[in-house]
Amino acid sequence: MIAVLGLVVGIVAGLFLEPTVPIWLQPYLPIAVVAALDAVFGGFRALLDGIFDDKVFVVSFVANVLVAALIVYLGDQLGVGSQLSTGVVVVLGIRIFSNAAAIRRRLFQA
Amino acid sequence: MSLLTNLMNNSLDEGYAEAAARRPTSAAPRDWRKHSWLLLAGLLAVGLLLSTAAAQAHDRASSTAEAGAALIQEIQARTTSNDTLENSLERERAEVTESRRNALRLTSEGTALAARLATLEVVTGASPVTGPALVVHLTDAPPSDDTGADVDPRTGDAADGRVTDRDLQTIVNEVWASGAEAVAVNGQRLTALSAIRSAGDAILVDFRPLSPPYDIVGVGDASAMRASFVEGFGGSYLQALRDYGIGYSLSTKRSARLAESSGVMLRYAGVPAGTETHR
Repeated sequence: MIAVLGLVVGIVAGLFLEPTVPIWLQPYLPIAVVAALDAVFGGFRALLDGIFDDKVFVVSFVANVLVAALIVYLGDQLGVGSQLSTGVVVVLGIRIFSNAAAIRRRLFQA
Repeated sequence: MSLLTNLMNNSLDEGYAEAAARRPTSAAPRDWRKHSWLLLAGLLAVGLLLSTAAAQAHDRASSTAEAGAALIQEIQARTTSNDTLENSLERERAEVTESRRNALRLTSEGTALAARLATLEVVTGASPVTGPALVVHLTDAPPSDDTGADVDPRTGDAADGRVTDRDLQTIVNEVWASGAEAVAVNGQRLTALSAIRSAGDAILVDFRPLSPPYDIVGVGDASAMRASFVEGFGGSYLQALRDYGIGYSLSTKRSARLAESSGVMLRYAGVPAGTETHR
């Protein structure tokens, strides 16, 4: 229960407070969102598998976001930012898809 | 391929499995449902990130739309003020013409000058003209079915059936050659200094874009002009255009009025020094 509460409070706070994102951080926001979604889907699947662990979830979320942002930052510095962004999105996208498929199989038995 | 297979099969973070393995099987799984401040903080961060990104994307979209609307508004305002200026220019020109005519009427020398001026104004496009006219009407070819994906944009095959600036130049020249005293394209009076050229897809006459269809109106002895135009190069050029699907029609008008050119300006004359100018 407390988990859902945290998610809802976070979303509401973000919508109402509208925190201003510094301009240098803005390019990494979409990548961070994809990374966060990957962590969330992974956590949900683990929950359904019965092996959910809050510490693993939080650490994987933070690490995912940071590593994804770091890769894109590195790419920007090297001049291959858009290609590396594509790479990150492809890898995380595949993971999100297969995790979502596993969740679907478990929930609907199909 | 092994990379992709690996990605597909091990989509779940291995940390979960390892954490589960570390736990002694006898011990009850840690009850994260009850109170895990860590989980709360983590999900709070996730929610904050998602909603911030959404707000950001929404902001960006609306600011783009706002900028576009502001630009459109400015364009419309400038166009309106341009029109106002043009109207007042026209009024003042008419005033000048009127007072000049009044001044010239006083002497016989002046009357001769006025007559010469009237002829020159017609030839240079500085005054409107009325009279019988030959009208050449040109339309772009209707878009063919196969334009689209299989047309290479670099070779420009899609522009095959379109009237180009070259076509307009040729036909305008032929209309002049067949005896027109004044010519206008889509209402734009041509002078000796007018330019017909293209910028991108649009044809410009004196830097004003035209939109199809195109009407080339030449004022003069309409029936003689028509005969001369059809027999000359103009007629065969129109025939050639038809091969590209460009439609044309020739007609004569009993009376057409061509406005004066808006591009006429003083090039060498200036206000004498010491003369009071009033605005």
